[in-house]
Amino acid sequence: MEKRTDKNSYTLLFAVAMVVIVGTLLAFTAQVLKSKIEENRRIEKQQNILYAMGVNENEGTNVNFIPTDKVNTVFKQFIKKQIVIQGSKISENDKAYLIDVKAEQEFAKNPKNTRRLPLFIGEKDGKTFYIAPIRGKGLWDAVWAYIAMDKNMVVQGAFFDHKGETPGLGANITQRFFMDDFIGEHLLDKNGNFKGITVLKGNADPKNVDKLDNEVDALAGATITGNGVSAMLKDELKLYEPYFKNLK
Amino acid sequence: MEYLELFFKSIFMDNMVFATFLGMCSYLAVSKKVSTAVGLGAAVVFVLAITVPLNWLLDTYILKAHALVWLDGNLRTPELSAYYDYDLSFLSFILFIATIATMVQLVEIIVEKFSPSLYNSLGIFLPLIAVNCAILGGSLFMQSREIPTFGMATVYGIGSGIGWFLAIVAIAAIREKIRYSNVPAPLRGLGITFIITGLMAIGFMSFGGMLTGGSKKKAKKETKIVKIEKKTDAIQKKIAKNNEKVNQ
Amino acid sequence: MGLLTKKDAALIKDPLFDNNPITVQVLGICSALAITAKLEAAIVMAISVMFVLALGNVVISLMRNIIPSKIRIIVQLVVAAALVIIVDLVLKAYAYNLSKTLSVFVGLIITNCIIMGRFEAFALANSPWRSFLDGLGNAAGYGIILVIVAFFRELLGTGDLLGLGQKFMGHPLLGNPIPGEMSGLYALGYENNGFMLLSPMALIVLGIVIWVQRSKNPKLKED
Repeated sequence: MEKRTDKNSYTLLFAVAMVVIVGTLLAFTAQVLKSKIEENRRIEKQQNILYAMGVNENEGTNVNFIPTDKVNTVFKQFIKKQIVIQGSKISENDKAYLIDVKAEQEFAKNPKNTRRLPLFIGEKDGKTFYIAPIRGKGLWDAVWAYIAMDKNMVVQGAFFDHKGETPGLGANITQRFFMDDFIGEHLLDKNGNFKGITVLKGNADPKNVDKLDNEVDALAGATITGNGVSAMLKDELKLYEPYFKNLK
Repeated sequence: MEYLELFFKSIFMDNMVFATFLGMCSYLAVSKKVSTAVGLGAAVVFVLAITVPLNWLLDTYILKAHALVWLDGNLRTPELSAYYDYDLSFLSFILFIATIATMVQLVEIIVEKFSPSLYNSLGIFLPLIAVNCAILGGSLFMQSREIPTFGMATVYGIGSGIGWFLAIVAIAAIREKIRYSNVPAPLRGLGITFIITGLMAIGFMSFGGMLTGGSKKKAKKETKIVKIEKKTDAIQKKIAKNNEKVNQ
Repeated sequence: MGLLTKKDAALIKDPLFDNNPITVQVLGICSALAITAKLEAAIVMAISVMFVLALGNVVISLMRNIIPSKIRIIVQLVVAAALVIIVDLVLKAYAYNLSKTLSVFVGLIITNCIIMGRFEAFALANSPWRSFLDGLGNAAGYGIILVIVAFFRELLGTGDLLGLGQKFMGHPLLGNPIPGEMSGLYALGYENNGFMLLSPMALIVLGIVIWVQRSKNPKLKED
């Protein structure tokens, strides 16, 4: 005898009901929590930008951000100007930090479009920092970074993050010993042409004394993540080069 | 050309089993005999070749942030579209899985009809193909690595399927032979398979060199040698200086 | 065990060793390899899997009489995925930092064949309470192996354990608060084995774990 649950009509009904119930449940949860999640993302962006320019509460070898409740005021205090570069057009926009870099990358795949490049200009202790948000691909998923530079494109601070790199291996790009390695590295070569910074295995200079070599030491066991970081620095920061040329 | 590159890359460098360790469960459990391994491998190739491009369509036209813009044909200025704000990416897991599970059930029905002996020997693992992480992994990699076109997605699906196929057939052949070897009793079966897979994975790591291969690398190497020479010079000088100090 | 009958207790105890999901049932290997380079990650993963598996087992068990057998796989996958996504969304809204650590695992949990395997093999045929216990037991058995493998890989690979290792082992060159110096064991010439961090080594460590387990318990030997 056929069981009731084996009938085609029942199967179809069950499938439809399940899709409706689960779909509603998920959409409802997503909708209810949307504003809260977006607020968290905004805070995180502000914290990361400030971190890159050295405004943080680091102790020892830990990474500590400005606390979430203070970050908005601190952000306004240190970030003096936010600009958007689109081709040769430069405009000011105090919401520039909310620009979604991924969406811009997609948008620029169509050659008719010109990508918008946000750049945040901060000031600390009389020094000016130019902070650029960049994004690339690691082993599993996206990696991204905020790179603070001076007007000669010398890195003053870097913050890296990732979506799903392997814990203990690629995920170590968020550790101080990797991020701090970038401080002082030059993005231009000796002749002033853009070269980027390569994350290199078997670097002849593991203590990273030589800041002019456009190289930092790679993480053990994370070749693909390291290559992703190198490619990201090279491809994305190159887009900002014309702006820095004009500064001089 | 880039199709070919992606194809070989997904078979060897990014081999599902040896580089990202996806689909291990069925890989270990169904690799006792070459004939069953070929069957399961073929099923995986088939399912991946269908689901990756299907999920690519889902991702590009429905799930991604701003993906729904095509609905009102307003592609020039996507920001003005009524659908610009929709971001359904939180649904991607569920939709990908649903596509996969449907396809797997289809394959199950086909195999049952045309090859009952294969169906019997695959046993519980045919339904488990649906959670074979290699299959969902294929779709998720397609999403996170931002494969740009439908054709590329198809090539990627087939390539990673073939990579998985090669891996399982290779280990099955080894396991058939190893039965005649004198392996310590507790290590027989699963234990030795783990260790062999580990060794094979180490072997596959050398394919990573193909990524940097070609004429580009040659040029790079030469400059690197010069650099290393310079560095060793500098280091030697430093050592000499230190020695002088010590002597004084 | 006043609360549990002997049969119920066995549901929790068996999967810990004799019927371990990883080393005996061969389920959930992929994640065991991907995240055991760090002990902390292994623990987080074990806890998340326990949550999803126990809860999912109960849900599937409650629905076991109304699920049409033709589409049961889809139903099982949807239940697992929906649970994980909801947990992920809630964490993103209320515990953002925790969710960032966990986001790595979301995909891995859904694809973890332990979850599907137990839904299919146990929850579809047993009462909710027993399914719940089965979920707890299997997740714990899975967690034990994860922790063992991660312990050796992190300790030998980085000389660290949950941030505590460096108190005992000293500091290597990289990551030392005093730049350019080594301390503790490293000053005596010890070096980390970076090879342990690569995923092939997880396979080999797992192989050794199986070796040890099967020599203790000859019943598990294969011919």
